[in-house]
Amino acid sequence: MSHHSNLNLVADDRTLKTPYYQPQGNEIALFEHAFRHQLPVLIKGPTGCGKSRFISFMAQRLNLALHTVACHDDLTAPDLVGRHLIGQQQTQWQDGPLTRAVREGGICYLDEVVEARKDTTVVIHPLTDDRRILPIDRTGETLRAPDNFMLVVSYNPGYQNLLKGLKPSTRQRFISITFDYLPADAEAQVVMQESGIDAGKAQQLVSLANALRNLKDQDIEEGASTRLLVYTATLIESGFDPVQACQAGMIEPLSDDTDTLTGLMELVHAVFD
Amino acid sequence: MEERVGQYWHRFITQAAQTSFPQARLELPAVKGALGVYFRAMGGDAGLTISSCSATLHNARRSWLHRLAGTGQKVELAWRDERCLYLPHSLDVLPSKTLNRDLYYWLAALASSGNHLSDDWLHTSQQTTLKTLVAFPGLAARYEQLVAAMLPLRPSLKSLSEAEKHQELTIRQALSKPGSVAAGTFFQAPRPPAPVYLWLHPSPPLAVVDLGVNEGATAGLGEVKKIAQADERRRRGERVEMPDDKPGAPFGVRHETSLFSFAEYVKLDRSAEEDEDLSDAEKIADELDQMALAQSQTSTASRIKFDLDLPSAAADDLVLSEGIRYPEWDYSKQQLQANYCQLLPMISREAKACELPEHLRKPCTALKRQFQQLAAFPRWHKGQLEGDRLDIEAYVDYWASLQQGQQPAEARLFSQKRPAARDLTTLLLADLSLSTDAWVNDEQQVIDVIRDSLFVFAESLKAAGDQFAMHGFSSCKRNHVRMHCIKNFSENYNAHIRGRIAAIKPGFYTRMGAAIRHATALLERQPEEKKLLLIVTDGKPNDLDRYEGRYGIEDTRMAIVEAKKMGLVPYCITIDSRANQYLPYLFGHQGYSWISSARQLPKKLPQLYLSLTQRLGP
Repeated sequence: MSHHSNLNLVADDRTLKTPYYQPQGNEIALFEHAFRHQLPVLIKGPTGCGKSRFISFMAQRLNLALHTVACHDDLTAPDLVGRHLIGQQQTQWQDGPLTRAVREGGICYLDEVVEARKDTTVVIHPLTDDRRILPIDRTGETLRAPDNFMLVVSYNPGYQNLLKGLKPSTRQRFISITFDYLPADAEAQVVMQESGIDAGKAQQLVSLANALRNLKDQDIEEGASTRLLVYTATLIESGFDPVQACQAGMIEPLSDDTDTLTGLMELVHAVFD
Repeated sequence: MEERVGQYWHRFITQAAQTSFPQARLELPAVKGALGVYFRAMGGDAGLTISSCSATLHNARRSWLHRLAGTGQKVELAWRDERCLYLPHSLDVLPSKTLNRDLYYWLAALASSGNHLSDDWLHTSQQTTLKTLVAFPGLAARYEQLVAAMLPLRPSLKSLSEAEKHQELTIRQALSKPGSVAAGTFFQAPRPPAPVYLWLHPSPPLAVVDLGVNEGATAGLGEVKKIAQADERRRRGERVEMPDDKPGAPFGVRHETSLFSFAEYVKLDRSAEEDEDLSDAEKIADELDQMALAQSQTSTASRIKFDLDLPSAAADDLVLSEGIRYPEWDYSKQQLQANYCQLLPMISREAKACELPEHLRKPCTALKRQFQQLAAFPRWHKGQLEGDRLDIEAYVDYWASLQQGQQPAEARLFSQKRPAARDLTTLLLADLSLSTDAWVNDEQQVIDVIRDSLFVFAESLKAAGDQFAMHGFSSCKRNHVRMHCIKNFSENYNAHIRGRIAAIKPGFYTRMGAAIRHATALLERQPEEKKLLLIVTDGKPNDLDRYEGRYGIEDTRMAIVEAKKMGLVPYCITIDSRANQYLPYLFGHQGYSWISSARQLPKKLPQLYLSLTQRLGP
């Protein structure tokens, strides 16, 4: 398995149309300010609430390239910075996505940064203070980040305590924004926009999702995310029966326990006629 | 002969009078799990448990058949209070099982909007119905079906007097069109209307205040406890004085012409009755409207082991320090009461160094081997992308495939020595309360099982080289929470610690909140990054003063929330069969394990530890 495949590289989004994004508060202005003053940003929020969508929206808006790295437990510092590859006749240096972003400029987005090991995460420290340098020991280079380089990281705080966490020395290097699920009207708007469904059904789906979020931590681990809502709405819009679409799109992904599933299906029947 | 005829008559008339549908009967335990999820998702208070209620008198007019048969006086309706949602134990009022099931869900939906008790029951019920139907429009169709099925079962208008007819029509209108009957419509009829199953109870019985019935008093009646009641209904009760022993006293006072009915309390001292046949007692309990309970000051049991008084200081274990004060959470005031509990760290006085008990040697050897693999000594990891040494075998394979013209994807040619260090520390908190005195089987008590588990756990963790500590706790009211230190973090596990484990004995009660807060404070001082708090318990948190029921659970939950905020991972292992009623609320549904048979605890504890720490990662 090539180590390239572990990293999602979205090289150039400039030619795509601007993605739809519904603001929650002052995050667009905050991000723009951070970019202009070269400050790194940390985004935290539950799964499927719009973090990655926000980043791609801002990349389009600020006309920047977006380099995404999906962090995981096997991610090592060379995966980020780069390594020497043993080729046929000689060894050559291959840049990692972080180095490429620093060389070319643009946003380097580390998604789910707590999943990576702690010794990997400290690689980004020199880029987050006012020096904005990336020292590469292997090649002996010290790269300076251009003005249009920005470092953004994100994670889901709900899982932090159980599995991994960010060290305080890392956390304190970022401007932090908390994302959460949108208020009911705004979320209905997003669902309508993404799936093409009508307003009435969107409202029903959003009220169902909010009822499910009441059960967080006690009966299910996390409530239904906006992403699941959009999937369900897409199913309904393409002609699927609403109750069955909710079962497949919102209830079954949340739990495996029979009693919980029965109770939640009754809830679906209570919301949809 | 007369008796036989009487039995036939009773059976015949009861069957003729019954208006329920026994073939469509649905019991609460079958739907309880799903109902709980439904109730909470609709916005119901997450701290409530679902419990069956007892039947209450309704005093409405009964049909002549019912009056002849002597049945139909009681009805089971739904209501809620601050601790519980009470639902009928079984429903058979509607003709089909689906309808009865829908009725259960409808009642849960009604109750989820809050606790509305007011003088105007008619108006409140309509408003609650409307609110529920507006919030969940999908229920409208179900509600109509239920009303359509319910209306024909109500008393027919022909059999009612004028005033009662008006009353019945009002109820029917309020049911079919909720909100149409104005507020302030009061009934003029002499009797209340026939019970409405679709609404909550008009005047629910007030919760019986438990004046701290001593666990200890019933501990002596261990045999009795085994005959567990199949349905644990809440029954109305009242506290009365214990009857005096003077014989002949009751009858002398009563006037001869007054006949007293079954439900009146007669001061007969029945405590000496030797009749152990409890099935009769259960039937009587069902029939009584209200039971009078008195607390006997003397224990009838022969086991005098239980003693509420604390042992004298000379005979008790050694107290290690002045009491440490901890706060307690009062959920009714929603605030933390500072310095409320006093915790005393103690150490066993009579612990003598000893060896591992004979019956545990074999299982421990097997476990030791398993845990040694986790030990943190450094090992060489081959096939790495980079490292200190070249992995010759991998390099040869690589070179060979290059020669063949293949381009291998990755050059994993190095070996790296890495210490598989586990940055992990664990504190095992064992519940050493009086309930551990119960017998698990013929040879062992719960305390013996806990002792074995502690031995096995300590041996396994020592083999793995992990840091751990073990403490036991029990409490006797808020100023005396005993925390027995079995092993500290800094101590090495040796024969001396084994002696302390062997010396554990059952204590008093379970004030879990204070114990968890102390354990959190101890774990916080540890340098390791991942901290696991394992709690081994066999029942709900409860203590002699008001620390029990909802109060105890809310305080324990607050202590767990505080522990999680400090970055600890709390996990509960329980042998209580009713654990799933309160543990998901305390620990989250992935934060606990229920062990069905207490004897399995020593085997399962290390396995659980392994799976937990693997989940926590390296």
